[in-house]
Amino acid sequence: MRMTTYVARRALLIPPVLVGVVTITFVLFAALPVQYQLTAHFGSPTKAQRCGYQPSCTCATLNPDSISGNNCTCISPPTPTTRTGNCVNPVYQEYVDKLGLDKPIPQQWATFIYRSFTFDWGNVSNHSTVASVYPQLKGLPVTTAVAWELPYTMELAGLSLLIILGIAIPLGNLSAVNRNRPVDQISRVISFSGYALPAFLLGSFMVAGVVLLFLPHTGFLVKTPWCTGGEPLDEEFTYSMPQASACYAGLGFGASYPSWVGNGVHSTPTGLFTLDALVHGDNWLAVDSVVRILLPALLIAYGAIAGLLRFVRNSMLEVMNLDFIRTARAGGVPESIVTSRHAGRNSLNVTVTVLGLTFAAFLGGFPVIEDVFHLNGIGEMLAIAANPNPGLDFGVIFGTTILFTFIIVSANLIVDVLYAFLDPRVRLG
Amino acid sequence: MTLLPPLPVRRRPRPHPRIAQMRRTWYLLRRNKLALVGLGIILMITGIALYAATQPLPWTSVPTWCATDYGPANDQSGAPGNFTQDCPTTGPIVCTYEVTPPPNAALYCGGRWYPDIVRSNISFASIIAPTLSVSPLSFGPMPLGGLATFSGPRTPIYDVYSSLLRGSDWSLMFSVSIVGFGAILGLLIGAMAGFYGGLLDEVLMRIVDIFLSIPTILFVIVVVAVLSVDLPTATGTSNLVKILAMILGFTVVWWPFYARIVRGQVLTVREQKYVEAARASGARQRRILLRHIIPNSVFPVFIQFSLDVGTIPLLIGTLVFLGFGSLLFPSTPFPEWGSVSAVSVIDLQGDFLTSCYTAATGCVIPWWQLLFPGLALFFFAISVNLLSDGLRDALDPRLRR
Repeated sequence: MRMTTYVARRALLIPPVLVGVVTITFVLFAALPVQYQLTAHFGSPTKAQRCGYQPSCTCATLNPDSISGNNCTCISPPTPTTRTGNCVNPVYQEYVDKLGLDKPIPQQWATFIYRSFTFDWGNVSNHSTVASVYPQLKGLPVTTAVAWELPYTMELAGLSLLIILGIAIPLGNLSAVNRNRPVDQISRVISFSGYALPAFLLGSFMVAGVVLLFLPHTGFLVKTPWCTGGEPLDEEFTYSMPQASACYAGLGFGASYPSWVGNGVHSTPTGLFTLDALVHGDNWLAVDSVVRILLPALLIAYGAIAGLLRFVRNSMLEVMNLDFIRTARAGGVPESIVTSRHAGRNSLNVTVTVLGLTFAAFLGGFPVIEDVFHLNGIGEMLAIAANPNPGLDFGVIFGTTILFTFIIVSANLIVDVLYAFLDPRVRLG
Repeated sequence: MTLLPPLPVRRRPRPHPRIAQMRRTWYLLRRNKLALVGLGIILMITGIALYAATQPLPWTSVPTWCATDYGPANDQSGAPGNFTQDCPTTGPIVCTYEVTPPPNAALYCGGRWYPDIVRSNISFASIIAPTLSVSPLSFGPMPLGGLATFSGPRTPIYDVYSSLLRGSDWSLMFSVSIVGFGAILGLLIGAMAGFYGGLLDEVLMRIVDIFLSIPTILFVIVVVAVLSVDLPTATGTSNLVKILAMILGFTVVWWPFYARIVRGQVLTVREQKYVEAARASGARQRRILLRHIIPNSVFPVFIQFSLDVGTIPLLIGTLVFLGFGSLLFPSTPFPEWGSVSAVSVIDLQGDFLTSCYTAATGCVIPWWQLLFPGLALFFFAISVNLLSDGLRDALDPRLRR
C-alpha cells in the first residue's frame, strides 16, 4: 500500500470515532434526570427541582436568582398569591428551548452533534463549581475557557516528556543489556515505585517539603526572585501566610504569572509562556517559566517512567535476539557498538509509538498534579467541572472530552503514520 | 523356548499440555526474585484480607454526620443510657449506649452500630516513634495507641489500624471485581470480534476505539458522577447499590483495553494448526471458540489483569483526593486504602497549612495517619507490578534468551 493511501485510510476513521464519543457524552447527559441537567443553572439539584418547574404553585413565574434555602421566590406576580396551575422558571424554559429537550431523542442527538462540531460548546455556567473556583470564567464560552487552560498543560506535558525521554531510553537499554542483574532490578524497582506511589501523596509531600524550605523563619529560599511574582526585590520583602503558601505550592508562582501574559499589549504568539518569553527576548522569564513547572514535571515523569522503561527494555530484548545482532557479533563488531547502533536504533520504533501515545495522554491533563501544585491546567479544570458540589458544568465536561478525543485520535494517526514510515513492513499489512 | 512378551516400558504419564505450560511458567517465574517478592506480598495481603473478613467491624454504614460529631460518644465512663447528639442535617438525635456492647460495636446511634474506637491499641506504637524535629513544626512521636486515634480535623469514626485491616478487604474486592468484570467482558467481546471477523469485527473494534479515545480518569469521573448523581433520588437506596454502581462505572471504562488485547491474540491463535485440526475433525464454531481459542489467548489477559489490579486503589485514591469521595462511597471516610490515604492527605494538608503553621508552640503532625495507609497502598501496587512484570518475562517467548 502506498503511503498516501495508508494515511487517507487512517484519517477517514477519525470522524466516526468523534461522532461516537459525542454520542456517548450525549447518552450520559440524557440519562440524567432533568433537575441534574439544570443543576448548572440553579446550584443544587434540590433547588433545580424546586425552581425549575412546579406543577402547581402559588405564583406565575419563579425567580431563578433569588433562592433562599431550597425555595424560590416569585417574580410575577411579585407577591405570592394563591394560584392554581403550573409555573415555569424562565431559565428552565430557555434551557429546554436551547437543548430542544421537548424534541424527540434523535433530533436532540443531531443537535448535539451539530453543536459539538461547530464548536458551540455552550458557556461556563454561572452556578457551577467551575464558576465558583474561577469566577473570571463565568459566562464565557467554553472554547475560551479551554483555550485559557490548555497552554499550562501543554508546557507541563512537554517538559515532563523531555525528562522521561532523557531517562527512560538510556536506562531501558542499560537494563536490557544487564538483564536480571542488579542494575536491571534496581531500575525496575525504582521505576515501579514511581508508578505505585500515588501522585496526590508524593505531590503533597513535595509541596510540604518546599513549604518547609521556604518558611519565613527557617527559609533560606524565601527571597528568591521567582516568589515575588514580578515585584522588584528588596530587603524588606516578607510574606503573609496565604501568599507564601501559594508561592511555595507550585514552587510558587501559581497565582502570579508575569504581567505581560494576556494584557493585550504584548503578543503571545504561541500561548506557551516559555516560548513567548523567549520571543520577547526575556530570558529570565523563560527560565522562570520552566522552573515553576519543574517539580510537577519531575513528579509526572517519575510516575510515568515505569511504562516506557518496560517498553524500551522489552523491545530492546526482542531485537537483541534477532539474527543480525548475532551476525554483527560474529563479525567482531564491539559489543558497545552492537548495543548502541545495531540494537538501540532498531528498538526505537516501538519507543516512538509509546512516546507519541504518552504525550497525547499527557495532553489530557493531570488533574491531581495540577490541583496539588495550583496550576490552572485543563485536567484540574475537568476535575472541577465534574464535581457536582455545587454544580456539574456539562459545557466544560463536554468541550474537554471532545478536545481530548480529537487530540488522542489524531495522535494515534500521527503515530501510526510515523511507525509505517519507520518500518515499511507495517504498510503492507 | 517361548518368547516372553516384551516388558511394558513404564513411562510417567505426560501431563496435560496446559498443566505442563503452567509448570514451565512457574519454573521461569521462580528464577525472577523480584516477582517472587511481589507474589509473597500479594499472598500476605490476601491473608490479611481473609482475616479481616472474619472481624465484625460494621464499616459500611457510617454516615458522615455522625463521623463529625462523635465526641461525647467516646466517653465510655458514663452509665448506659441515652444522650442527645446534635446532628447538622436532621437536628438533635437520641443516641443510646448499648447496655451490653458486643465486642467491637459499642455505640448504637441513629439506628446504626458504631465500632468502639478505643479498643484497638497496638503495643508497637511506642517502638516506631522517630522524632524528627523541624522548628516550629514537629513530626513528634506517635502517641501510645496513635494508630487508634485518627486525629484530623474531620475526626472520622474509625481508627488507623482498623481502617487498614478493613481496607485490605475492600481494596482487594474493588480491584479484583472491577478488573475482573472488565476482563471477562473484554475477553468475550474481543474473542468474538477476532474469531468471527468481518463486519462484526469492524463494528466492535470501532466501538472499542471510541471507548479508548476517552481518557480513563475523565471517563471514570463522568460515568461515576452520572451514575451516582442519579441514585440518591431513589429513596431507600442501599449502600450496596451505590458500591455496585461504582463498580459498574469502572467496568464500563475498563473492558475495551481487554477487548483489544484479546482480539490481537485471537487473530494469531485462529491460524494455528490445532484450530485447523479441530475444524477438520468437525468441531462446531462455538466449541472451537470456547475450547481452543479462548483458553489459548488468556495469558496476555492475565498479565494485563495483574497489572491493572494494582492501579484500582490508586485510581480510587485519586478520585477521592479530587473530591469525588462522596460520589463513590456511601460514607466519606471509607475504609479503602486509596480512599483512606487520600482523606489523610487532605487532613494533613489542612493541619499543616492552617493550624500547625499558626501554632505558637510546637505542633505534632499526625504522620502515622498517612504513613501506614500510604505504605499499604504502595506495597500493594508495587508487588502487583513486580509480579506482572515477572509473568510477562516468563510468558513471552520472544524475550527469552
